[in-house]
Amino acid sequence: MSEGTVARLRVPLQQRADFAELLVGSWPSLSSRELAERPIYLESDGPIPFGEMFELKGEPRGRIRLIGDLAMADRVGAGMTEGEVVVEGSLGDETGLALGGGALVVEGDVGARAGAAPLGFKRGMTGGELIVRGSTGSAAGATMRRGLLVVGKKAGDQTGIGMIAGTVVVFGDAGTNSGLWSKRGSVVALGRITPPPTYVYACTYQPVHLRLLLTRLGTRYGLPVRPRHLKGFYRRYSGDMAELGKGEILTWTAK
Amino acid sequence: MKIRGVFIEDTFAEAFTMRVARIVITARSSRWVRAAASKLTGFATSVIGCKVEAGVERELPASETPDGRPGTSILLMTMGKDDLAKRLIERIGQTVLTCPTTACYDGLPDAPDRVGVGSALRFFGDGFQISKVVAGVRYWRIPVMEGEFLVQEKFGMLKGVGGGNFLILARTADAALEAAEAASDAMAAQPGTILPFPGGVVRSGSKVGSRRIKSMIASTNDAYCPTLRAVTKSALPEGVNSVLEIVVNGVDAPSIATSMRAGIDAACRSGVIAISAGNYGGKLGPHHFHLREIMTGVAS
Repeated sequence: MSEGTVARLRVPLQQRADFAELLVGSWPSLSSRELAERPIYLESDGPIPFGEMFELKGEPRGRIRLIGDLAMADRVGAGMTEGEVVVEGSLGDETGLALGGGALVVEGDVGARAGAAPLGFKRGMTGGELIVRGSTGSAAGATMRRGLLVVGKKAGDQTGIGMIAGTVVVFGDAGTNSGLWSKRGSVVALGRITPPPTYVYACTYQPVHLRLLLTRLGTRYGLPVRPRHLKGFYRRYSGDMAELGKGEILTWTAK
Repeated sequence: MKIRGVFIEDTFAEAFTMRVARIVITARSSRWVRAAASKLTGFATSVIGCKVEAGVERELPASETPDGRPGTSILLMTMGKDDLAKRLIERIGQTVLTCPTTACYDGLPDAPDRVGVGSALRFFGDGFQISKVVAGVRYWRIPVMEGEFLVQEKFGMLKGVGGGNFLILARTADAALEAAEAASDAMAAQPGTILPFPGGVVRSGSKVGSRRIKSMIASTNDAYCPTLRAVTKSALPEGVNSVLEIVVNGVDAPSIATSMRAGIDAACRSGVIAISAGNYGGKLGPHHFHLREIMTGVAS
């Protein structure tokens, strides 16, 4: 498979940059030249073509790799529906905002509201896979409707808040109020988590579907899935009882 | 043609196009895999009376199953497309869903034709079921008293072949059984095939229709019954006192031919006089397996 486009940041970002229009629509079918014309909006200096900000090599063919210090890059992968994006480094806020499909893999950390809904909209992610190998800021996966959000390290407060459906997997500790007000959906916590008081403990068991999911995360993305995660027990909490109550928090337990 | 002194008749097995699904069952231990598999494939010898033909294709080590637990691969076959969906839902619903610790997956992920199975069984969850999509494939988590039953939403369906066969014509019943057992053992390891009859062996081969009852679609194959040698138009060579049939179904014709070759080779042993095959003159089934072609290179 082609490596796709490799995009290297020419000059370190000095101001916040909005990447919301870079990967929307059918970007994988664009040539690198067409992709280079897509605008990035700088907070102070306004729009600038992607190709001026990044040095591009190779044709996309469904894949792009972003390289550079992008901690001030917001909304990377917003509205993306197809293709595979790998980011070597960390990203800013609203990464994968309302992601609809494809895979967005971030090797570092991301800011707040990853995979969440755009402000004023009801639905966050509606599909695809958002893999953050590092930590996420607050409200990751807020109001997500479908899809998979994986946090390799710590997840901030209010992770999965107001989830409509979908799955969030957190390998590290999850912040307070994770899963709060969810209607459906699953928050899978392999580290520590304190379910909101509006969740009710149901049972401790071995969910087979997690073996499928975690095995894939290990093989496809090389995430640190351990035998204890596959063969272990999980405490199931149902909630949020202040909402529909069809959601769940599955928290790994030594026994 | 002779193989180790056993005469290979110049005839062919006539087989039919069927619809096939591959079901992968996993469970916490091999014990429960076998428990589910034996029930799922029970009473599934022939579409004539069972509506479905099924058997274990092979056992799967944990490293080959979707969830990393011990498993088994089962082929389930019917004559029609619609029938396959019904039988899958019935059988998985009654025998796998009910069996402790099991999960059930599609074993034909690349088959373009898909039939809904989990999408129907989910209703057992009475609204408490949960769907999950992993790698683009939807599964249903159905709450049960033990915990959860996981089943894939859709199963692949292929055109397969049913009714590959050969007959072991032996001097004694013991010799026929020993040869059939050897054939069955040799064929059990062939990928893409199943032996739907008990132990892989049929003692009651049938012919189309009946001499007396018009509504019967099959009756005893009197031409191969040793006890009727004197009262019917027997097809048995002199010295034959017992006949057993091996029936093999598969995902395609080459798989069946390979399996038949292994089985016939194993069956050619002391006490066996000839190997024959069942056919209907070549007019009913589109797949013809000529024994001598299949055994080319094995003959002595």
